[in-house]
Amino acid sequence: MRRILSSITDGKGFDLIMVGMTMLFLFALAGVPLVYNVVMSFQQVDMFNLNTFSRPFAGFENYVAIVSQPEFWLVIRNTAIFVFGSIAGQFIFGFALAIFFMLSFPFASTIRGLFLVSWVMPGLVVGALWGWILAGDFGVLNAILRGLGIIDGTMFWKSDPNLSIWAVTIANIWLGLAFNMMLLSVGLAGIPRDLYEAAELDGANGWQRFTTITLPMMRSTIGAVLALGLIYTLQQFDLFPAITEGGPANSSNVAQYWAWQWSFQLFDFAKGATVSMMMLIFVLVASIVYVRSTRHEVRG
Amino acid sequence: MSAQPQIELVGIDKHYGTFHALKNIDLIIPKGQFVALVGPSGCGKSTLLRSIAGLESITGGTMKIAGEVMNGVPPRKRDVAMVFQSYALYPHMTVEQNLTYSLRLKRVPRSEARKAADEVAKTIGLQQLMHRYPRELSGGQRQRVAMGRAIIRHPKAFLFDEPLSNLDAALRVHMRKEIRALHDRLGATSVYVTHDQIEAMTMADHVVVMRDGVIEQQGSPLALYDTPATRFVAGFIGSPAMNFIPGTIADDGQHVTLELEGVAALPIGRSLEPSRKVIVGLRPEHIEATPGKSGQIVLPVSVVESTGSLTYLTTDGAPELTVVITGRSDIRSRDTVGLNIAPERVHIFDAETERAL
Repeated sequence: MRRILSSITDGKGFDLIMVGMTMLFLFALAGVPLVYNVVMSFQQVDMFNLNTFSRPFAGFENYVAIVSQPEFWLVIRNTAIFVFGSIAGQFIFGFALAIFFMLSFPFASTIRGLFLVSWVMPGLVVGALWGWILAGDFGVLNAILRGLGIIDGTMFWKSDPNLSIWAVTIANIWLGLAFNMMLLSVGLAGIPRDLYEAAELDGANGWQRFTTITLPMMRSTIGAVLALGLIYTLQQFDLFPAITEGGPANSSNVAQYWAWQWSFQLFDFAKGATVSMMMLIFVLVASIVYVRSTRHEVRG
Repeated sequence: MSAQPQIELVGIDKHYGTFHALKNIDLIIPKGQFVALVGPSGCGKSTLLRSIAGLESITGGTMKIAGEVMNGVPPRKRDVAMVFQSYALYPHMTVEQNLTYSLRLKRVPRSEARKAADEVAKTIGLQQLMHRYPRELSGGQRQRVAMGRAIIRHPKAFLFDEPLSNLDAALRVHMRKEIRALHDRLGATSVYVTHDQIEAMTMADHVVVMRDGVIEQQGSPLALYDTPATRFVAGFIGSPAMNFIPGTIADDGQHVTLELEGVAALPIGRSLEPSRKVIVGLRPEHIEATPGKSGQIVLPVSVVESTGSLTYLTTDGAPELTVVITGRSDIRSRDTVGLNIAPERVHIFDAETERAL
C-alpha cells in the first residue's frame, strides 16, 4: 500500500497519472467529437434521430450530395483564395515587419508589442472593425485609396461578388499578421549575428545574406508558421458572420462557414459533418508538415 | 618587404555615444607581418580589429588597406578575411559549402570552386570532413574550417578575433604553431587579437599592447619584455607577472630604497634624481635566490611551488615577491632566503606617471 502510494506521489504512478489526465482530456474533448463527426458524415441524420446513435447508414451519399451542390466549386475556389491569400499576405507582411523590427531604433520592441493588439482582439470585434473600414460609401479604405489616386469610384468591398472574398481575406491578413510576425521574429532572433558578419566579410550583399543565411536558417520556423497559418485560416470563422455572412450569393462563402450553415442554419448535420470531414484532410496534411518541420530543427 | 604598408591606421578614433573606445590609434602593418593586439578585456583591441574589418565604423582618422582609403567602405568590399572567436560557421552548409561560400557569391564556376576547396582542405587537413556539417565537427575541426574559409579567398589581410579561446589548453598550444606556420607559408598579413600575452609573444612579429582605447606600447615581443615603456606593459607582458615595489631614489642617485622589509638600498646601474618617488619592477625570473641570510634582499619564504622544471617562491611581507628558479630547489617554506638582482635588470617607473625611467 505504501509502495503504491509513494509511486503515485513520486514515481511511475505519478507519470502515468499526468499522461493519463492529458490523454483523457484529449480523448473526451477532441477524440470523441472527431470520431462522432466521421460517423455522422456516413449516416442519414435528421431532426428525429438527432438524439440517438443508431441512424441509417448512408455510405457516401452525403459526400456525393455535397460535391454535386451547385455552389460546391465556388466554395472550394473561395476557400482556396481565402487560405492562400491569407497565408501569403500574413507571411510576407509578417516577415517584412519581423525584419523591420530587428533593426534597432527607438521604441522598436514597444511598437512591435502594440502589433499584438490584433491578436488579442476577438474575431467578431475585428470583423466589425473591418466591416466599417471596408464599407463602400463611408469606409476608410476607400477614402485612402481614392486619396492616393489608386481608384476613382467607390469599391463595394462587401457587396461586390468579385471583391467580397478579398474583403474577408484582407481582414484575416490583418488578424494573423501579429502571430506571423512574432513567430518569425523569434526565428530571426535565433540566428547568431556573427553569421551575418562572416557572410558580409565573405562578400555577400544584403539580398545574398537574406537568401543564403536568413532563409535557410529560418526553414523550420517558416515551415511551422505556414502550417499553423493554414490550420488557423481553416479555423477562421468569426470574420464571416461579422463581415459578409458568406454573401452575396455565396461569393465569399468558404468551407468552414458552409459547414456551419449546413448544420446550424439548414439543420442538415450530416452534410455539415461531411464538409468538415473534407477539410480535415487538408488540416491533416498541414499538421504533418508542421510536426516534421519542427522536428527537423537545423541549428549548429 | 615592400615599401607600402598593407594596413595603415592614422589617428583612428571611435566613439560609442559618449564612450571613447579608440583614442588616436596609429599603427602601420607591413606586408607579411604578424601583428598581435593584446590587452585586458575592454581595452578596445576587438573594436580596433572589427574597425579594420569594417564591421564597426570609425569616427575619426584614416584607414588604408593596401594603399586604398577604406573609411566607409563596406566589409564585403575590403577584401579582408576574419576568423571569429565563435568560428561563425554556416550551420546549414557542409564543410565544403562553408569553404566555397565566398567563391559561390563571386560566381566562380563550380569545378573551380571545388578545386580550390580541395586545395585548402589539403593545406589544413580537412579532406575527410568535406561533407560533414559544422555540428558534426569537434572544436579543433571547426577552427580549421574557419581558417580554411579565410584562406580560400587569398585576402589582403587575415583578421583573427581570439580564435583559440574556445579550445582546450593542449590544442591551443598546437594551433598556435599551426596558425603561425600557415601565415609564413601563405606570406599573409595577419592581425591577431588575444588577451593571452603568451599567444601574442610566441606568435607575433610585432605586439601592440592596448589599454583603455590607447596603444600603450608596440614593438617586437622581446623589446616589450626587455624595455617596457610603462608599468602596465611591464605587468602585462611576462609570466609570472613582474613584482612591483614602491621605493625612493637614494641621495646618491645610484640606489633605490624600497618600502619593503629586509632590504638594503638596491643599486640601479644608472643615475636618477634623488628622493624621487618610484615603482621598482623586478621580474621573477631575474631574481636569484640563495638559502641563508646574505643578499640584497633577505626575506622568509611563505610558499614553495614546484612544477618539476620550475620552482616558484613566494616571500613573506608586503608586497609579496614572486621568484622563479629554474629546476629544483632545496628551499622550503619558512626558510630565509637572500635575493639578488643585477642592476641592469631593475626596472624603474615613475610613481605618478608610471612611465619607465
